[in-house]
Amino acid sequence: MNHRSLAFRLALWYTLLLGATFALVGMGMFYGLEQYLHSSLRDSLRRRSSQVEQILEQGSAVISNAQISDAISTRVSPEFNNRFVRVTRAPGTLIYRSGTPADRSFDPNAVPPIAGTWLDGTAVRRTVTVQNQRLMLNATRIDTPSGRYLIELGSSLQSIDGLQDRLLALLGLLLPVLVICAAGGGYLLVNWALRPVDRMSQTAEHMSMQNLDARLPVLPTGDALQRLSLSLNHMLGRLRDSVQISRRFLADASHELRTPLTVIKGELQEIVSGDAAQGEVRERVGSVLEEVARLEHLVSGLLALSRLDAGEAQREWLDVDLVELAASTAEQMRLMAEDRGIQLQFPPAAPLIVRGDPSRLKQVIVNLLDNAIRFTPRGGAVMLRTGDSGGDIVLEVLDTGIGIPPAALTRVFDRFYRVDEARSRDDGGAGLGLSIAQSICLAHGAQIEVHSEVGHGSCFRLRFPRTPSDDPARPALAATPQMRSVTPAI
Amino acid sequence: MRLLIVEDDRKLADFVARGLRAEGFAIDLAADGREGRGYIDSYQYDLLILDLMLPLISGSELLRLVRRSNPTLPVLIVTARDATEDKVKHFEAGADDYLTKPFDLAELVVRVKSLLRRNPVERTDVILLSNLELNRLTHQVRRGEQNIELTSKEYALLEYLLSSPSRVFTRSMILEHVWDQSFEGVTNIVEVYVRHLRRKVDDPFPEKLIHTVRGVGYCVRETQQAAGP
Repeated sequence: MNHRSLAFRLALWYTLLLGATFALVGMGMFYGLEQYLHSSLRDSLRRRSSQVEQILEQGSAVISNAQISDAISTRVSPEFNNRFVRVTRAPGTLIYRSGTPADRSFDPNAVPPIAGTWLDGTAVRRTVTVQNQRLMLNATRIDTPSGRYLIELGSSLQSIDGLQDRLLALLGLLLPVLVICAAGGGYLLVNWALRPVDRMSQTAEHMSMQNLDARLPVLPTGDALQRLSLSLNHMLGRLRDSVQISRRFLADASHELRTPLTVIKGELQEIVSGDAAQGEVRERVGSVLEEVARLEHLVSGLLALSRLDAGEAQREWLDVDLVELAASTAEQMRLMAEDRGIQLQFPPAAPLIVRGDPSRLKQVIVNLLDNAIRFTPRGGAVMLRTGDSGGDIVLEVLDTGIGIPPAALTRVFDRFYRVDEARSRDDGGAGLGLSIAQSICLAHGAQIEVHSEVGHGSCFRLRFPRTPSDDPARPALAATPQMRSVTPAI
Repeated sequence: MRLLIVEDDRKLADFVARGLRAEGFAIDLAADGREGRGYIDSYQYDLLILDLMLPLISGSELLRLVRRSNPTLPVLIVTARDATEDKVKHFEAGADDYLTKPFDLAELVVRVKSLLRRNPVERTDVILLSNLELNRLTHQVRRGEQNIELTSKEYALLEYLLSSPSRVFTRSMILEHVWDQSFEGVTNIVEVYVRHLRRKVDDPFPEKLIHTVRGVGYCVRETQQAAGP
């Protein structure tokens, strides 16, 4: 799980918020309940207290302690109600104390007197702990004709505390479960909500200059996502148009150059081949002709590129033994290498079948070998190697040449790019060879990559995915996904 | 032999016409498809050189019309379009040969002659030039009394150059005939092979037979005919 992903962060925030809300609600419930239970207990104590007060006030001055006890026992019946009652007459005579309550929640003899109530004169409420039992006590002082009394009424808080403990336990158990559910649910929900974005990015990922006709899926959600995909699609449309315009321009321009080139070349060749020109004139025309030849290569290179751009790469599409093709090409170029004092090595290998256009693939090998030979000093070596790597079929051209500086590595496949302007132009390169090689590779679903170290040499590697011809169920077209439109235009 | 060139580029048409007239052909020029059709309907031609992108009636259309009225007239297509599909399409439509601009005039002349079968492939088994002797059956090359050992590519190159002595063969013609188009524009493979061929065929002998025509290509001829560069 990616910790910085939008889905993760959204789910996290969602969980935190939900958790905080649950905690607040739980706390509110807990304290609200406590408040309510305590106040109702308080009311009940006060009522009982006033009952006792009535007994004491009604009684005349001669009322005996036993009469008071009887009256309290029958009218209030504290033992039965689990209440504590203690009546004291000033200055300290105990008149009545209730017995052990029915639920035996406290021992009435152990309840301490509430200090200071004699002086105060008003009702006092205290919570005391007797033998690990919390008791709520309510003390009232009254003055009657028979004297001044202190009425103490109490009740155990056990049932309230038990209820609160149970609630706390329930909340403590429920909260983590709720948080976990919220986190999981939130993550799924966010992922589900982001799935259209995911699909859009996947489609966008598979787009290349070869299939600009593909469009992002548009979900009729009527919200920002729909607007986003629509506007991206419009942008793609405009991009395709402008790419098409520039491609058409390239194709048309190189096309239009061919007729005048034919005339220029033909006329100059006439002059040079005939007897009309001699000596210096002949040399000069020859020099012009060499430039014309370069122009011609440039134009045909550009046309080749524009055709590859348009996806017209394949003349033929068949199973090609890459090893055999490489071997024969290396053989044809061996003399060129030896001529420059370079050893051209090609270790024998078992056949490796790729699907493609043999003449195009050969063009790639020729381009790479030619480059390697051109940029390797006398005494160096160029190696052409084929093999199997990570399930892919790989062809490598390694040299011990001058290498490519790191800054130039990413640009060597760019059109008209030269690592060293002065050097390669003298060799007649137009800066299109590697670009053409790359386009051909792309048309074959292959990747071309370069590694290089200045002063030590370069390595160009072609990586062909395993041919689908191994798998008769799949049609050959699967090897050229860029040749088909992936998504119908919307 | 009367040839019709249908080509809207005036200069190119003139240049091709001049080259073919020099070879002894009678040439008519038409600048657009309709004019070309008029010529074809009015005269009897031995060969038609047709550009594809023509005003009024396109080359492809004209080719179809010609094939309907005159199925045997040899047609050589000259075009800037070199996509293979185009070639296949036009061969199917009845073109006899196909040449892509920018082409070499020499190449055009060779194609025209071979279409007219005026120059049937000379299968002389032994080609002789000065004291150089090339045997097509045994692939043996001798100069004077000396045997010359050539690799197969060197032999193919020499045989091609000797197929028409004194004619200048351009690099692209040589590449196309001896190698293949994969090497086009990339390498100096032709120069390298010519140098090696010279080392074996010319260097040990006083008379040089392989000549460079700068900017154009190579030709073989006896030195006394003309001063080589």
